[in-house]
Amino acid sequence: MPRYGIAIDSTKCIGCHSCRVACQNQNELHFDETFNWIKSKDRGQYPSYGKEFIPLQCNHCENAPCQRVCPTGATYTSKEGVVLVNPKTCVGCKYCMEACPYKMRIIDHRRGIVEKCRLCIELVREGGTPACVTTCPTQVRIFGDLDDPNSAISRFIAQTGAQPLRPDLGTVPKIFYKRS
Amino acid sequence: MQQSAWGWLIITYLFLAGAGSGAFIAAVACDLLAPDWSKALARAGSLVAGPLVIIGTLCLVFDLEAGFWQPWRQFYMIGNLRSMISWGVIILSIFIPLALLYAAALNEITFVGKLAQKYVTAIEIIGSLFAIATATYTGVLIAVVNGVPFWNTPLMPVLFLASAISTGLAAAMIVAAIIDVKTIKTLSNFALGHVIFLSVEGLVLMLFVFMSLTRSTEAALSASGLISGTLSPYFWGLVVILGLVVPFILSVFEFLEYGKMPKSLVVGADLLVLMGGMSLRALIIFSGTPPQII
Repeated sequence: MPRYGIAIDSTKCIGCHSCRVACQNQNELHFDETFNWIKSKDRGQYPSYGKEFIPLQCNHCENAPCQRVCPTGATYTSKEGVVLVNPKTCVGCKYCMEACPYKMRIIDHRRGIVEKCRLCIELVREGGTPACVTTCPTQVRIFGDLDDPNSAISRFIAQTGAQPLRPDLGTVPKIFYKRS
Repeated sequence: MQQSAWGWLIITYLFLAGAGSGAFIAAVACDLLAPDWSKALARAGSLVAGPLVIIGTLCLVFDLEAGFWQPWRQFYMIGNLRSMISWGVIILSIFIPLALLYAAALNEITFVGKLAQKYVTAIEIIGSLFAIATATYTGVLIAVVNGVPFWNTPLMPVLFLASAISTGLAAAMIVAAIIDVKTIKTLSNFALGHVIFLSVEGLVLMLFVFMSLTRSTEAALSASGLISGTLSPYFWGLVVILGLVVPFILSVFEFLEYGKMPKSLVVGADLLVLMGGMSLRALIIFSGTPPQII
């Protein structure tokens, strides 16, 4: 079984939010719901000032705190290592939203359940690639199997030394970042 | 990216579950340890314990979304024993009936009360264990949350238990003053309880805040927000001065001037303790800061 992840080259990100719109479109989200974000960080000082854009989404942690605290077991990890929410058993207690150190979960008030990035798993199982990856005009994201040493993502991580965000939190994320 | 998913309903629950279980512990302590003059307080504590925890639990249910609109989903909530909420559901569903049975037994309410009186010692012992479990688990509930480093400390359940006992005693004393006006004089006997438990709570709160200042960057940020940041007027005003120091001083005088204290001051001190307990829960929830991730 593959173990899917995404590598993100934040030095290429121009902050256009295409990934967010593509995600909303793919997952049929309302305009006020989103599974990914772009945050910016100031770098340097005038005159050598720059802005770094960092695309954020669920890290699909191997040691997922959200899954540990879910009282109903609605949050589970699929066989491909993707952290998903079962909409039929979620009660909307929001404990997982408190537990996530990355704060990557949202509450869907219309359905009363907690939602999150699904790594477009339906699309991936049909042989596709997540919408945020394919839509990116500057190809910031690389999607693939972390267990396959010859996959583009594994080679990218090996070459650039990309790291997850805050690996010290101990949740073992599967989204890797190459930062400037 | 949302900052805090929990708000006033959860804060009210944390407070009411603490006060209710504390009132149960206070009632059992009075019934078992103190002489006859304390029976009014035992009765009052047993009467208020169940309803407080029930109202708190209703707050929890109102905070659910799909589980509120489709209540059958709540049966799933004991599905993961690694989750503190599952343990909470189990603890509450045992403690609430025990608290109601205890109220029936001490106040001789209907035939249930007469039946429960036969087993009152068993209800007291098992009930106390579950009262401690209720008060403690509300602390563990937020202490295991990875998303907020300020809460990740074993001192959290200790602080919640200490606050539960002092607010529970206050709730029981207010109800005793309402149901039995004559007890207002004997209430002074329990002022010593307030002196002891408010000191313990103050000490644990001090340890919690001071140790948070060095625990991690995020915990330090939250703690300094409480003692010198935007939340500091509420922390010092509502929790420390009005919630701990003023009722502590009033209780010392109440104990020394046995029975001479005006009724309004005796009940006023108890109301302040309750207000302080609620403010403490609110400030702990609102001061939680997630880790800096980028």
